[in-house]
Amino acid sequence: MTLQPEDFWSFSEWLLRPGAFLESALLQGVALLILAVLLGLVIGYIVSAVRYGPGEAFYAVAGVLRDLFTRDLPGTAPRRVYALARLAFKEAIRRRILFVIGLFAVGLLLAGWYLDPTSDDPARLYISFVLTATNYLILMLALFISCFSLPADIKSRTIYTIVTKPVRATEIVLGRIFGFTAVGTLLLVPMGLLSYLFVTRGLDHTHTVASIEELGDGRFVGETSYDRFHRHEFTIDAEGNGLAESERGHRHVVTKVGDEFIVGDPEGALRARVPQYGGLQFLNRQGLPDTQGIDVGYEHIRGGYGSGGLSRFIGRTIGPRRIEHGYIEGGTLCAAIFTFDEITPDKYPDGLPLEMKLRVFRTYKGDIVTGVRGTVTVRNPQNQAIESEPFPFVAQEYQVDETELPIEFDGTAGGESRTLNLFEDLVDENGHVEIVVRCSDPGQYLGLTQGDVYLRPRESTFGWNMTKAYFSIWLQMVMVIAFGVMFSTTLSGPVAMIATFVLVLLGFSAESVYDTRYYIDRGQTMGGGPIESLIRTFRQDAMTVELDIQSTPLKIIQGIDSVAVYTLDAVVTSLPNLPKMLGTAEYVASGFDVFGALLLRHTVTTLGYFILACFIGYFFLKTREIAA
Amino acid sequence: METDPVAVAERPAPTSPDATASQVVIETRNLSKIYRDFWGRKKVQALNSLDIEIRQGEIFGLLGPNGSGKSTTIKLILGLLFPTSGRVLVFDKDASETSKNERVGYLPEESYLYKFLTAEETLDFYGRLFNMSAADRQRRVDELIKMVGLERARYRQLREFSKGMTRRVGLAQALINDPDLILLDEPTTGLDPIGTREMKDLILSLRDAGKTILLCSHQLADVQDVCDRVAILHQGELKELGRVEDLLKVQDVTEVHARGLSEQAKAEIADVIRRHGGQLQSMDNPTTTMEDLFLNIVRESEERPGHRRAAALPPDASGNPPASGNPPANPAALPPSAESPADRSSKSSGDAPS
Repeated sequence: MTLQPEDFWSFSEWLLRPGAFLESALLQGVALLILAVLLGLVIGYIVSAVRYGPGEAFYAVAGVLRDLFTRDLPGTAPRRVYALARLAFKEAIRRRILFVIGLFAVGLLLAGWYLDPTSDDPARLYISFVLTATNYLILMLALFISCFSLPADIKSRTIYTIVTKPVRATEIVLGRIFGFTAVGTLLLVPMGLLSYLFVTRGLDHTHTVASIEELGDGRFVGETSYDRFHRHEFTIDAEGNGLAESERGHRHVVTKVGDEFIVGDPEGALRARVPQYGGLQFLNRQGLPDTQGIDVGYEHIRGGYGSGGLSRFIGRTIGPRRIEHGYIEGGTLCAAIFTFDEITPDKYPDGLPLEMKLRVFRTYKGDIVTGVRGTVTVRNPQNQAIESEPFPFVAQEYQVDETELPIEFDGTAGGESRTLNLFEDLVDENGHVEIVVRCSDPGQYLGLTQGDVYLRPRESTFGWNMTKAYFSIWLQMVMVIAFGVMFSTTLSGPVAMIATFVLVLLGFSAESVYDTRYYIDRGQTMGGGPIESLIRTFRQDAMTVELDIQSTPLKIIQGIDSVAVYTLDAVVTSLPNLPKMLGTAEYVASGFDVFGALLLRHTVTTLGYFILACFIGYFFLKTREIAA
Repeated sequence: METDPVAVAERPAPTSPDATASQVVIETRNLSKIYRDFWGRKKVQALNSLDIEIRQGEIFGLLGPNGSGKSTTIKLILGLLFPTSGRVLVFDKDASETSKNERVGYLPEESYLYKFLTAEETLDFYGRLFNMSAADRQRRVDELIKMVGLERARYRQLREFSKGMTRRVGLAQALINDPDLILLDEPTTGLDPIGTREMKDLILSLRDAGKTILLCSHQLADVQDVCDRVAILHQGELKELGRVEDLLKVQDVTEVHARGLSEQAKAEIADVIRRHGGQLQSMDNPTTTMEDLFLNIVRESEERPGHRRAAALPPDASGNPPASGNPPANPAALPPSAESPADRSSKSSGDAPS
């Protein structure tokens, strides 16, 4: 999991983007709302102009708007909404939708056979499997239950008995959405519980002691039995307490009770680290400040356009925003300096729990067994002459390096070596402290991003983290239900389903559309728009070669393509960013606490689209001849 | 229930004798509806310039063959369809206004109800749609279930219901809000004769309670029995509009009903008529309708279950008038029935075999 710059935004930063208001979510939401209103008015006017003539149409549109604000919104009664929601709920339940839970349980049982038990990180495998499976299953269910109910009612004319009661169109739309949300929740909760059990029980195992050897001083070294395709080595101290080596992302406590050795349950497999991130500043080989580390030419990942918001859409910011790893070279003045704030004794009573996920780039093979070495130095941000002795470490690739920096350690203060106290000497009066990461092996590189070195003041529980991931799934479900109901107010069931599905699909492929547009904007040959890429497919031309077509047809093709791509860009810009919401699963799988700000962003986004879908659905239903 | 045949024909407009003075409940002005296809091409003119006024407290019938525009009119009144031109006002509000529905009850042609709900749940659900409190709903649901006679089927899902039972639930849901205006689309279709009779009685009692009723039907007998005024539609055009008795009464024919007259007395009456320049068309025991006959048979069999031996009845055993009777539709159209059905209809005299 590599955190992107936008992941560090707090909720208000995301909403308002101080300093870059064009990127703000609020602006995007407001623009979308205004656009929807304008589009609605124009389409409404055109449709009623065809029906009643241009003069009447004006009154018709005005009348619908007046009805919304003077009658239907104030007249919306919770009791009716509740009644309609209950009806939708009962309908789904009596159609035995709850069988899906049984199906899900069977699916989990079958999955147990196929999830690779020899995987390096079984926890990640299990968690991402259950979360992704639940996510897609729930979205599919939401699609089915939300799209077919209202068209079925209209077709069977049961809707006649509803709309001839004092029921507002708002109530019908809201009732459906709430009812189906209740059904979805009823499905999601047991699924979440089953998943939790599946993950915790599925990873649970224990070992016995296979071999043990006593060292002279009362300590023991030994090896556990080979279970679940792995074994641990362990040492036990003179008091009889020991810890097994980490293997497959977990370790066991081994204790000596009398003459017996007891291997405990796996620990550390299911975590929810609550990280504290700092600001990152690189120093280049000459030791001068640099915004980026060394580019080792290893990764140029496009994407991340979406965080640009409207500023990207109108072309004010161009280009991918996906973060790349910056590298620091060993044996030079290269360094990565992290500045952490709010460092207080209350928060870190036992020292600084520092964690690093570093990448390694080797220019020569070196000693492959010990790995690439580096150092961590604690430094006072205001007086850089006060710094600790370097703490050496060996970079563990593809794993989280956990060290605990003590409160008192040796260091230098203005050339004088003495014992330094973390809070007295190194943390400045603003509560800031600097942690400097360097690479010690000359010619080797360590790669990191802002999210890769962090302090971990506390740990949340895995169960709570799963709950948050499920809440994110729940939000996506609400969104799909709202869109499904919105379309079902005017389209027949299957068509509404396809429309919703296309919407979801477009939301998922937004970044690809942005990418295509990016290359069109830059005039770079990279496959082109839909027609051009179709031609390339038939001619078997690579993406980057110039298209060998006469210039006039080429211009026409590229012209049409640009229109198509720009239109698509506009459409997907106004759609919810579902991949981002799906991404919460990655946090849980990687053992990180899902950020509250992220969840709040998703919640607000969902609420926004929910309101939009309600209004659109209302107008569809209101202007529809039910009996036609 | 009207028992006096004369009273049916000449009953006064119940709540307000002067119909013109009472309040207009539904008003259609130049109401037209054209059904179009997807491309906006005209498919059919379902209704053409309909102007009617329905006043408070009357039973108004919309009559016509299938496809004449009856259902279209009702749907326009309910706001289920939008008029192509013209307007519908219900309680002085435009038909598209939802708030008018507070005072309206609608029984659709078929009972379009949720099959997965029980009778009680159905009524409770519709009660909620009127924003009724739990106590009000409870009371009203109890009343209505009793009224339509579904006490025993109260907790059964509608999917198990017979057509007649579904119809009753449909009627109950139309009355859940104690509406002032009730629209009934083909109220008697799918009902057996008893059900039909009960439906008609109910319509009359609703009218007596001051409700306005608009019903549409192609069953002439229904309309004739209960309606105060009818409009006859054909191919979307209004063909006839007026009070039922005015439409049905044959002005120059007098009908005499009497019981227990001797042949001599009959001859004297015939003589009187002749003396006043009248022409005796028929003087006979009045016929009854097929419906009455069926009803009597059913009623009798309920009193005395078992095989009914109609042939054993003495022909003149008639002691009771038909319990519920209506005059023949049009005296002029009466067949001079030689084999009087009245004999058979009067078997309820108590002479039935036990």
